[in-house]
Amino acid sequence: MTVRPARVAAFAALTAASLALSACGAAPSTDASTSSAATATSAADFGGMDALVKAAKKEGTLHVIALPPDWANYGAVIAGFKKKYGIKITNENPDGSSQDEVNAITSRKGQDRAPDVVDLGSTFALSAASQGLLAPYKVADYDKIPAAQKDSKARWYNDYGGYISIGCDAKKVTTCPTTFADLLKSEYKGKVALNGNPTKSGSAFGGVYAAALASGGSLDDIQPGLDFFAKLKKSGNYNPVESTPATVEKGETPISIDWDYLNAGYADEFKTKGVDWQVSVPSDGLFALYYSQAINKTAPHPAAARLWEEYLYSAEGQNLWLKGYARPVLMDALKTAGTLDTAAAAKLPTVSGTATFPTQAQQDKAKTVVTEGWAKAVAG
Amino acid sequence: MTTASAATPSPAAAADDLGGGSGGAAIAPPTRKKRRRSTGWLAVLPLLLFIVVAFGLPALAIGIGAFTTSDDAPDPAQWTGDNLRLSVHGAYLTALLGSVKLSALTALLGVALGLPLAQAVITSRFRALREAVLAASGVLANFGGVPLAFAFVATLGNSGEITQLLHLSDHGWSLYTFSGLTLVYLYFLVPLMVLTITPALEGLRTQWREAAQNNGATARQYWLHVALPVLAPSLLGGFVLLFGSAFAAYATAAAMVGSSVPLITLQIADALSGNVLVGQGNVALALSLDMILIAGVVMAVYVPLQRRSARWLR
Amino acid sequence: MAALTTKPATRPRPRPRYWRGVVALVAGLYFLGPLLASVIFTVDVPGQGFTLGAYTGILGADGFLASLRLTMELAVATIAVVFLLLVPAMIATRLAAPRLSSLVEIVCSLPLVVPSVALTAGFVSVLRWGPTKLSRTPFYETILQIQNPSFPVVLVLVYVLMALPLAYRTLDAGLRAVDLSTLVEAARNCGASPARAVLQVVLPNLRGALLNTAFLTLALVLGEYTAGAILGFTPFAVWIVGIGGSQAQVSVAVSVLSLVLTWVLLLILAAAGRGRSFRKSRTSQETS
Repeated sequence: MTVRPARVAAFAALTAASLALSACGAAPSTDASTSSAATATSAADFGGMDALVKAAKKEGTLHVIALPPDWANYGAVIAGFKKKYGIKITNENPDGSSQDEVNAITSRKGQDRAPDVVDLGSTFALSAASQGLLAPYKVADYDKIPAAQKDSKARWYNDYGGYISIGCDAKKVTTCPTTFADLLKSEYKGKVALNGNPTKSGSAFGGVYAAALASGGSLDDIQPGLDFFAKLKKSGNYNPVESTPATVEKGETPISIDWDYLNAGYADEFKTKGVDWQVSVPSDGLFALYYSQAINKTAPHPAAARLWEEYLYSAEGQNLWLKGYARPVLMDALKTAGTLDTAAAAKLPTVSGTATFPTQAQQDKAKTVVTEGWAKAVAG
Repeated sequence: MTTASAATPSPAAAADDLGGGSGGAAIAPPTRKKRRRSTGWLAVLPLLLFIVVAFGLPALAIGIGAFTTSDDAPDPAQWTGDNLRLSVHGAYLTALLGSVKLSALTALLGVALGLPLAQAVITSRFRALREAVLAASGVLANFGGVPLAFAFVATLGNSGEITQLLHLSDHGWSLYTFSGLTLVYLYFLVPLMVLTITPALEGLRTQWREAAQNNGATARQYWLHVALPVLAPSLLGGFVLLFGSAFAAYATAAAMVGSSVPLITLQIADALSGNVLVGQGNVALALSLDMILIAGVVMAVYVPLQRRSARWLR
Repeated sequence: MAALTTKPATRPRPRPRYWRGVVALVAGLYFLGPLLASVIFTVDVPGQGFTLGAYTGILGADGFLASLRLTMELAVATIAVVFLLLVPAMIATRLAAPRLSSLVEIVCSLPLVVPSVALTAGFVSVLRWGPTKLSRTPFYETILQIQNPSFPVVLVLVYVLMALPLAYRTLDAGLRAVDLSTLVEAARNCGASPARAVLQVVLPNLRGALLNTAFLTLALVLGEYTAGAILGFTPFAVWIVGIGGSQAQVSVAVSVLSLVLTWVLLLILAAAGRGRSFRKSRTSQETS
């Protein structure tokens, strides 16, 4: 009578023990990334471009994270890479923020599902580099990237960028606003939205920075931007819903402050959905920022990661950014070399004036101010 | 039916089967009772082991982390009360108070609205309606997050169906406020209340109602003097459960109001995503500890109340 | 006692019908309204009128089947673990060790004290120990394996913790309705071993409560978003949100459908339970 429960218990214990043992094991004592691909700092370390392609194809797959297909034409970039090299790409969490990408690197160290490459807002690229998460690598045209647009140790390098713009649904709004000052008008009650949370999202952070420039602040002083949004909230114009194509279609966020390349891309996307999306870069708050590319130091597929970066900085890759209405970092170099897609370049949203980029120190200071003051500004 | 015929071969066995502590213990051979008790412990052991590992480890991590400096701080890890101190100041304090206020208000409303709804459903003549509503409550109590937020944005948002139909925005209505969020939270809190209070309402014996009526009580007097006092422990228990549920809610508020309503869960999620200043990463764990303490206090009220209400229903 | 009173019994009746109708109307408007607005959003595309494209496009949506399958597997695992942990414990505390019942109750109410975000924060910290503090111990591989994206055991752990309070209450109510000690005693007297008594006598009587627990746990796992999102996996709820950015109508359509489906499942369960108990009472009337 008591034998059977004991036998069942013993069997269960044995099963559990064998399962547990199969899931036990210390980290490999030698660092897994001693393979040459993981420490390669340029294509030459592989023995030339062809050897790099061969090594990448052998790995066969690439993990990317937080790349929405309609963000600066990433959909076409991914498809182009897959077609050219036959390497599979898994894109997880397309709506993730830059901070989510950095977290994925730290929390998934050693796992196969860690991201190989990351695309970060430049502020986040700076902090990731300082945490030692990124591998130095120089693409073929590395020297043509302006010095201010890359890390001195080649751990990150700017790729594409744009200006903060105001997108507006002309079908739902009688007169579309064109400057930040316009946004405060009473006719836009409950209509103005950001693309995210400025403490998390590079585009929303850029929106606050642009508002600061438009309200008497400077690259050193982002507080007027927070005050602007506090005023927007108080007047009832601010809509806290994060604008996405869905909310725009629904009519919930007919005015959206976002990068010009995103807004311009949406204009095409929305034409079929009955939305007349118009984009204007505000003249009073001209703010531009680039996004940076970087390679995970402990990438599970180091050769594929480096091939991806080569692809992004090739003429083909850079022109794909243009098709997505973003300004590629090598635009001037391509123009002199004659490989620029001039038709796409002509379609870029018009900008009046030139913008200066904030330095590392300015960005750090601005991020601190926003992190501390955003909740207070919009909660009032 | 079978118990009468099983008026047992051995009184000792019967006493044993009724568990330790009964009068037959003196007669029963001691080995049998010990085996029964050890079987009891053995059966509970997996559950206890699971809790120790799956719950104890994270709780330990929170406890340790809340008092340690973050990994990305310039100084090496050491014990510090800074995280906890920061977690109850400034924006975090506003968020804590906001969460407590929202949870208490929605729990109160949930109890007040769930009770008549449950009563209406139970006393309905259509048995099918009762089961349909209870099943729907089970589903809706878990329906939250982004789909719920979007459903309400589609209905009562600035360009929602009802808003446009009734021109609500002209009257100053906005969904993205404290009151709007309250309205949305009730969507999963009221079903939870219905689920919780239904067994208690069914335990209200009809004899009590008849007795009250026979003594000349009106319906109002019956409720005031008979039913509500009996239900009081269950109502308070329901309030506590609703409070905990509203306190813990995250995805709905995140999708709807972002940072414009200060809530502690949003702050924790933000801090987990690293959106804090360098060197303050462990503030997320300190905030979690704060939440656990508050919820623990509320829960300490719940368990004895639950036991009291069960007594009435037997 | 009723005969002593001269009050007419018919007077209170008309009132309850009135207030019940009001409550039903308000509740119906409040609960069905947002769902209706969502459905309208899915079928009404501005510029194209009424289309069912959102619903026909669900099966083909990228990642729908994968995330649904993952969630179903996780749900089955969660339900299995919850049963294996709770059912023996609760039966044993009632039969053999009543003093443990308060311990079990407290243990099952503990997850209520820790909100899901906080619990996830704790899990994230523990998982971070893997690559840092535990890299030289056998637990390094364990921590990696439980995060295996094809079947993340860590999510099962979180879901079981979240489901414990609810499962405990449901099983408790079910066990209360069954005279456990009598059943076991009778079975023992018919010659069954303790194990057999439990498996073949007690469990069938608990079928309603077990099924109820299973379905409520399923509803919980289907709707759980926080842990899945923060830990970086793509169960059903996370997928719904992810696709909401690009294909809003498909996302909302899937939410509404999953809601309706779960509700129908619970209704079928209730109807099945009703049929069985009806049969049981009839047979018991015949034999007594």
